[in-house]
Amino acid sequence: MKEYFQKKSFKILCIVVGILFLISLFTLFTGGFVFPNLLGAISTPMQKVSTMVANNAQATATNLTRSYEDLLAENQALKEEINSLNSQLVDYYQMKQENEQLRNFLELKSENKDYQLVAGSVVGRDPNDVFYSFRVDQGSLAGVSVNDPVITEAGLVGWVSSVSSMYCNVTTILSADTNISAVDKASRDSGIVTSDLKLADQGLIRLGLLEADNQVKAGDIIVTSGIGGIFPKNLPIGKAVEVKNNTTDVSLYATIEPFVNVKTVKDVLIITDFEGQGEALSTVINSSSSTSSSSPSSAASSSSSSSSAASSGSSAASSAASGGTE
Amino acid sequence: MKNHFRLFRYFAYSLEILVLFLLQQTPNLIPSLWGIKPTLLIPVALSIALFEKEVAAMGFGVACGLLIDFGRGDVIGFHAILLAICCYTISALVTNLFKTNLLTAVLMGLASIVLIFFFQWIFFYVFPNYGQAGYALVRHYLPRMAYTAVILPITYYFNRAFAIFLRER
Repeated sequence: MKEYFQKKSFKILCIVVGILFLISLFTLFTGGFVFPNLLGAISTPMQKVSTMVANNAQATATNLTRSYEDLLAENQALKEEINSLNSQLVDYYQMKQENEQLRNFLELKSENKDYQLVAGSVVGRDPNDVFYSFRVDQGSLAGVSVNDPVITEAGLVGWVSSVSSMYCNVTTILSADTNISAVDKASRDSGIVTSDLKLADQGLIRLGLLEADNQVKAGDIIVTSGIGGIFPKNLPIGKAVEVKNNTTDVSLYATIEPFVNVKTVKDVLIITDFEGQGEALSTVINSSSSTSSSSPSSAASSSSSSSSAASSGSSAASSAASGGTE
Repeated sequence: MKNHFRLFRYFAYSLEILVLFLLQQTPNLIPSLWGIKPTLLIPVALSIALFEKEVAAMGFGVACGLLIDFGRGDVIGFHAILLAICCYTISALVTNLFKTNLLTAVLMGLASIVLIFFFQWIFFYVFPNYGQAGYALVRHYLPRMAYTAVILPITYYFNRAFAIFLRER
């Protein structure tokens, strides 16, 4: 047995494991390595093709399995719907036109002229991730950088947690790593949007740290507050389902149903630049370094925090407690 | 001539690994059971290890592990280390101690899969302190272990075919 450990193959194993361990430590603390860039340049185009084939096959299979009666009924229903739509007011056509333009991913700028958008497709979902993160086929060459918000026309999907030259990894709003400062549009109550595994499995998120006298109720629209400069203001997140007491402390939280089905999203937009990006963070840092702190009031951190050392690779935007006087 | 057969086998293994990596990562391709999908590269690496020498087995384990890490998008080397050790150990055991058949393949593969997913749970869920660790283990990691282990006999027979037909007579 002792002789086995002196074999050449065992020494090779020790050397290889040692090198891999050093590489792991390097990527853990720096988040960068040439290997992912190289492999991404090769694998991302292949993943795009395989994803396209799989999506087309799924669509075809869905149509083939439907019965003739189902198709007839749907045809009749669609005709009735077309007739109903045709009788709408002139404003409907204007809104439909705007909606179609939004769907083409170019007309978000009519409401948000400052957004710089990059359209991308979901090309990979890691089976080992429990929070439904995914990979998009746009990277630093397209102007994407870490912490860029990821949206669809319906609302917020997540944020870019790591980026390479040809692709980026997106951490979704269902992840426990996500912390977004948000506000209820109706009641103006603010809180922090995050999630946990049980909620994520149900496709839900939570608006936590609500005050005891909050006015959040079911059906309220939750949007980003824009504090922190990571996410633009008024990005739709979801709608409130119910308000509950937190089991670990005295605060309240609301469960939120996101507008976007994160688990099945296929096409996304990445906001690479917007007016005010990073400003709040730098403003807070500058003001806290130049003056003595005198603001005990509400801290709404809006940056997405990274997970702990075991899963680094994405650079972390440190969560900033923005203490503004109100 | 012996080298030619070995090169053919390695090329076949490499193609197999690449294809299964694409299948694993492509959305909506592998059917998911209650939201769980298997990690295809783990049984591939373990079954290759049954038919190759220690260093070659370790090499393919490293390759599969690096691809899994690349697919995850964070720490590079975690799965590579685990699969390098597991594949080397399996290869050493079947070379010196055990017979290579489906039973030993399943037993050793199962032990390796449990080990790898257990470390995955510890390092990527428990250590970051996400909470509900027990729920994650029962609802996500154990089912994924089982689903991944189910793939093992398929990859065993597949790679056994490579090992038999692409070997010098």
